[in-house]
Amino acid sequence: MADAGRHPNITLLTNSQVTAASGYVGNFNIKVLKKARMVVEGQCTACGDCVKVCPVVVPDEFNVGLSSRRAIYQPFPQAVPSAYIIDGQQCLGHEPIVCGKCMEACQKKCIDFNMSDEELELKVGTIVVATGVDVYDPTVLDEYGYTRHENVLTSLELERLISSGGPSQGQVIRLSDRAVPQSVAFIQCVGSRSLKRGNPYCSNICCMNTIKSTLMLKEHYPEMEVKVFYIDIRAFGKGFEDLFRRSKAAGVRYIRGIPGEIQEDPQTRGLVLTVDNTATNALETHRADMVVLAVGMHPPEQMKVIQEMLALQKSPDGFYLEAHPKLQPVDSATRGVFFAGCAEGPKDIKESVTQASAAAARAMRLMTPGKLRVEAITAEVDPETCTICGICGKVCPYQAIAVKAKGGKPAFVNAAACMGCGTCAAECPAHAITMHHFTDGQINAQIDATLEDDPQGRIPIFACNWCSYAGADFAGVARLPYPPNTRLIRTMCSGRVSEDFIWRAFSQGAPVVLLSGCHFGDCHYINANHWTDKRVKRIWRKMEKLGLRPERLQLEWISAAEGMRFAQVMQRMEELRAGVTPEEIAQTKVILAQAGLPGEKAPPAKQAAG
Amino acid sequence: MRLNDCDPSFKHEIARQPGGEGIKTCFACAACTARCPVGSLKPEYDPRRLLRLAILGRREEVLSSPLIWLCCSCQNCSEVCPQDVRCTDVLTAIKNLAAAAGYAPPSGQAMARQLAAHGRLLEVGEFENDKRAELGLPPVSEQPGDYQALLGLKPEAPRPAGEGA
Repeated sequence: MADAGRHPNITLLTNSQVTAASGYVGNFNIKVLKKARMVVEGQCTACGDCVKVCPVVVPDEFNVGLSSRRAIYQPFPQAVPSAYIIDGQQCLGHEPIVCGKCMEACQKKCIDFNMSDEELELKVGTIVVATGVDVYDPTVLDEYGYTRHENVLTSLELERLISSGGPSQGQVIRLSDRAVPQSVAFIQCVGSRSLKRGNPYCSNICCMNTIKSTLMLKEHYPEMEVKVFYIDIRAFGKGFEDLFRRSKAAGVRYIRGIPGEIQEDPQTRGLVLTVDNTATNALETHRADMVVLAVGMHPPEQMKVIQEMLALQKSPDGFYLEAHPKLQPVDSATRGVFFAGCAEGPKDIKESVTQASAAAARAMRLMTPGKLRVEAITAEVDPETCTICGICGKVCPYQAIAVKAKGGKPAFVNAAACMGCGTCAAECPAHAITMHHFTDGQINAQIDATLEDDPQGRIPIFACNWCSYAGADFAGVARLPYPPNTRLIRTMCSGRVSEDFIWRAFSQGAPVVLLSGCHFGDCHYINANHWTDKRVKRIWRKMEKLGLRPERLQLEWISAAEGMRFAQVMQRMEELRAGVTPEEIAQTKVILAQAGLPGEKAPPAKQAAG
Repeated sequence: MRLNDCDPSFKHEIARQPGGEGIKTCFACAACTARCPVGSLKPEYDPRRLLRLAILGRREEVLSSPLIWLCCSCQNCSEVCPQDVRCTDVLTAIKNLAAAAGYAPPSGQAMARQLAAHGRLLEVGEFENDKRAELGLPPVSEQPGDYQALLGLKPEAPRPAGEGA
């Protein structure tokens, strides 16, 4: 950390908050609120004279409340920058003369109560989001009595006690009587792997942290009795199993079974744990002078602030969602934004460093050429036909379209930010947007060709490039039979399939039409398939009004791995197709012609008729 | 234990019963047994073990076990279970299956007979009817017909005059 602080190319903004972010890859504008430190960074030598005279004593956050600090303080000894800071909430202030003792004590005269918050505006090319995690609070798990029993600690509290720089200078002591405990019990998976209370996922670090702590306890106090109650020990990394073995060899007892309750012995303040030892199949009672709850981690509350600013997504566990779980594990779906560390999921130090290095390399790869090469599949607005309605800006998952509804200039697509899903082109009521490589003309030609001869025997399918088309491919590779009369029309995203394509297919005599895309949450264009869903529901309502059977248009989410499902859906489509009579198709053509569907590529005045 | 003696469909059968849905998510952390008040008095009673046997498919062993009837339905296990198995409800589902297979304990069977014959488990005597009279309520007589009609077991019996509500 000190190295980062000294590096000429790294600017550390501590005690700061990102208040706004806008722009796109290569041109992000970030607003940062740098809070007043009240101590001049460059001048403070961290001598500590001010701390000696400060009369305000508050709990020390870094030592999780196990010790105290003053209102002027350094969060922890290795903090960067190495300068003191005044806690504005707690400081008595200096005007009208209330305290000001620190100002008098400071020889360098670097305490400045007139310092005010600064707003910085930064222009940056790429962003790495590393927002970290919060520690799980075991208060709700009442059976462990964390709030009732003084000698029940969290793993973080033990970490501070065992640290030589901690509140007890590395002495592990009980909070009730400051005696060194003769026996310590650890309980694993506190707040993790729980479908009901806490988090459903494995927090990844607690097993190894406990194993490390047991070894440290055994090193400091060889006579101490150490027990670990666990469900599964997950020692999966390099050297981890070895550490686990060393811990067992050091005499630590690992007992498979989670205690149902912790009771306190009122005399000794020791703790009694009842546990069903699943190895011996016996209900056992264990006593321990101290119990450590190996608490898990969860995403911090404030994550959603950054999420909204940068249009990021979250996975169901509450952490940020990467662009691809295997192939782009450090990229976000927004180009130019990367993740490092626990922002993306629970991680230990090694994994966090690995991911941070990868994120830095990914960012460098974008920045070094000075230019950005983008896929040619981007949208373009024709300023002549644009009616400035603002719909495209609303549907764009990447906020790549600048448009102000009501007056203002025509919509403009930022090619660097556009990822090419085509949702804007599908939703544009004025047909003013051209989706390069997937133009209306190209797709219409495919629809016409599909239904050129024997339309009644054909099943046109609109499949998205990433999931459904790959799913069809998988069905083929896996040699799963499906009806041979299906005809796939590929688009980058199901969001590209406009209402007119569907009407065109039906008016050309298609008996049934299938629209398929990625499952919700899997969409490769953030959430473009939500617009597909909305649009299809809208078409179904229109079909009902027109007197067409809505079943003839089907919407299915098929992933790249679901070849089997693709084949099943196709079978069902074939059954549906067989149920459509030539009379119904002929009638459909008449109905659509009367309704003026599909609407012509024309100014909106003519559109209104449709 | 031989794998051939196990019935893998047993856990699905339990999961189909109301309340038995949670059985498949159990990962045997043993928090249920550690918290169980019955287990602390009678060490043979181990809900984790019963659930494990059921998941393994030891149908006869589970259904014929007298231990399944010891659950006191205090829900302590459901409270501590991280996997939301709802152990008490799963055991109730198992008890229902056991009763259907004819393994209900004699006391339970006697209670069922009592209920079928009289519509209630406790006899309504003079004492209760005096209390009812004090509160201005009509007396209750032994009349299993009422509930049998409610359950659709037989046509509604004509109510004797004087016993309004």
